[in-house]
Amino acid sequence: MTHIKAIIADDEKQLRVHLKSLLFDLWPDLIICGEAGNGQEALELIEKNRPDIAFLDIKMPGLSGMEVSKRIAGLCWVVFITAYDKYAVEAFENEAIDYLLKPITHKRLERAVRRLQKQIAASIKPPSDMTEVVERAIARLYQKEKPGYLRWLRAQHGDGIRLIPVDEVCYFKASDKYTLVLTKQGELLIKKAIKELANELDPNQFWRIHRGTIVNAHYITKVSRSLTGRGVVKLKDRPELLTVSRSYINIFKQM
Amino acid sequence: MGTVTETKIPIINRRKTLTYLFYTVVFNTIIAIFLTSVKFGDGLVKNFIFSQCIGISICSCILIGLYLVKPKRHLIELFVIITAMIGGSLIGALLGSIATGIHPSIFLQYGFAIRPVILGLLFGSIISYFFISRERISATEAIIQEERIKRLTSEKKAVESNLRLLQAQIEPHFLFNTLSNILSLSETDLEKAKSMLVDLIHYLRTSLSKTRNETTTIDQEMEMIRAYLNIFKIRMGDRLRYNIDIPDTIKDFPFPPMLVQPLVENAINHGLEPKIEGGELSIRGKEKGDILQLEITDTGMGFHGGEDIGVGLSNVRERLQSLYGDKGHLILEENRPSGLKAIIEIPYDAY
Repeated sequence: MTHIKAIIADDEKQLRVHLKSLLFDLWPDLIICGEAGNGQEALELIEKNRPDIAFLDIKMPGLSGMEVSKRIAGLCWVVFITAYDKYAVEAFENEAIDYLLKPITHKRLERAVRRLQKQIAASIKPPSDMTEVVERAIARLYQKEKPGYLRWLRAQHGDGIRLIPVDEVCYFKASDKYTLVLTKQGELLIKKAIKELANELDPNQFWRIHRGTIVNAHYITKVSRSLTGRGVVKLKDRPELLTVSRSYINIFKQM
Repeated sequence: MGTVTETKIPIINRRKTLTYLFYTVVFNTIIAIFLTSVKFGDGLVKNFIFSQCIGISICSCILIGLYLVKPKRHLIELFVIITAMIGGSLIGALLGSIATGIHPSIFLQYGFAIRPVILGLLFGSIISYFFISRERISATEAIIQEERIKRLTSEKKAVESNLRLLQAQIEPHFLFNTLSNILSLSETDLEKAKSMLVDLIHYLRTSLSKTRNETTTIDQEMEMIRAYLNIFKIRMGDRLRYNIDIPDTIKDFPFPPMLVQPLVENAINHGLEPKIEGGELSIRGKEKGDILQLEITDTGMGFHGGEDIGVGLSNVRERLQSLYGDKGHLILEENRPSGLKAIIEIPYDAY
């Protein structure tokens, strides 16, 4: 029987050293045929050396361990390594994919090793399509961390580009093809039409109250109705009053 | 009506005016029937004409008066309404007398002029009260809505901020990765493992013991940041280079704890760690007149659009706001040629 080969991918060298020494204890016959410090390197190593097993850190520069696993599906067995990705790890429960939590302990690694040895001995093929599992894991991971809405705006300021968190914006006002961003500190112009912006902002926080106005609900201090029946919005940190056009008044009525 | 009078929007619009006029006509009819039933005036027809003339002219005078004066205070508003009622009554009585064929000169006599004014004031007040309370009800509804919005947002904010603080104190990725390194080093390089552990202890003790309201000095804060960066230096190796440059003159300046750390953490987690070749992190302090500036610059991945470049940043911003009001700033800029630059500005005169 030929020797089983494995690669280790982790951006922290010390952790590769650690895993290597643990594996040497538990599986002396295993050949570590390569080490990678980032996702791209890992991918190249796997394609070049065709190992039987890849230990992939999930959080790596370049390509993440999950991205790598998607591209090499079927080529080898994958064991993910992660410091703390509770949500992602849940996705791997009951799957053919194993994972290790950092710091990697002797006991836990031993279990993974025995499992791999059994699978390889029984000539079971690694899953040929991991896309679904990995996508599910990625979805879980990002569902927690990424709201999906625009959070930062790039605006020209003097010579440089300033980044403004959308949370700081009191309101947006259409200005031809561009949009005026009004914050407590003042106003800036961004090269994006308000129509486009409206689709990218979190609708729970940013309310369109007029064709040319989107207001940050967190800054609304007062909404009143004038004698004429039009809604008027008063804001924190800005002196001006904004009018709510008739077609948008419903957002206030529903509350 | 207080909320309404603050607006700069003209009080009259066509739809509202028509509604008011409609109600006025209805009320006028009721008044005419009432007056006739108590045997006042010269029969229903004349009473009807007079009350329509007086009522409509009072209503018009009030609307025009409010439109022209745009009163901002209740007292002025009341004055406008009463004046408009008296004026409107007189004009209405005059029109009514023309319409019914009574010679207008009759109003020059004392007794005749006072009657429409008294009636106008009496019924006008009742009707105005009706209109005003209607407006008040809708204004109150609006205020209740505002309160609800306010309460919901502030509750949400408090919960979020507590969560963020907890997370900032012990970031699990950081902790487990660091412990992994220490565990591994304990087998290969005991001295390095020890020094990493010392740095971790220093960092954890400082960050966990500090409450939000305490102050420390810039120097002490930088010592903690050094411990934090030393840990990353071991973990990332050559991929991380850093330098801290704080002039002696500002070393002992009082500084809020855990304000720089989230920015450094951000620069590493979102800027340098995800970058294959890594990069440089520099912290520079300087005084600029009555402002103290701390710049945290990285040459990392920079800003790419929609992604979240750190929840810690809004926490920093909120704290600067609560500590220094409008004098505390967090400015974020794109660094050239790559990466981000975060600038903290606080007032320097307080020292």
